[in-house]
Amino acid sequence: MKPSLHLLKRSVWKGPYVVPLPLKEAREKNMPIKTMARSCMILPSFVGLRFQVHNGKTYVPVEITEDMIGTKLGEYAPTRKRFTYKYTANR
Amino acid sequence: MAIQLLGKTFRGHQPIRLAMAKKIYGLGIKNATRICSKLGIYPFMRFHQLNESHVLALTKELNQYTIEDDARRQLRENIAVKRSTGSYVGRRHAMGLPVRGQNTRNNAMTARKLNRVDRRG
Repeated sequence: MKPSLHLLKRSVWKGPYVVPLPLKEAREKNMPIKTMARSCMILPSFVGLRFQVHNGKTYVPVEITEDMIGTKLGEYAPTRKRFTYKYTANR
Repeated sequence: MAIQLLGKTFRGHQPIRLAMAKKIYGLGIKNATRICSKLGIYPFMRFHQLNESHVLALTKELNQYTIEDDARRQLRENIAVKRSTGSYVGRRHAMGLPVRGQNTRNNAMTARKLNRVDRRG
């Protein structure tokens, strides 16, 4: 990936968008972090943790790997259901 | 007079900079211009004006870029990484739908043609 494209996303002085999360606690207790912050950027310190990311209805389990660094938490919790045709019997 | 570069045939009357940008995958106008200016080929020089040493220098210069099969492999690897992490981008590629939030009510033909996990180009 081109580094310049990453720079174009957001002002450098702002830094990545991160919400305060109970990272230390989760590491100690080996507990998943339940969060609604879908737009929180995944930092290198998140690798190996388990998250439960809200998709508008339920919390989707996500395990963070090294390839996910630099993306957002919400990318791994799909918000839309696949369309399936349901046959209506009584009409 | 036709000239062979990377196994591709370029006809004599074609401008070098533009023809390279058009025919070689992974090489745009910007990089083609850069190569031409580095080798002292003026912007609208055509292939029939090249001599043997120019052609050799061009092939040598093109070898340093990630173009053609290398560029395609890189593209495929990037998509495969997205797919393996289970991200939205990877899923949209697998479904053959637009990745960056475009409408899908009509058309979306470019994505339908191109987007897949082992994308060809």
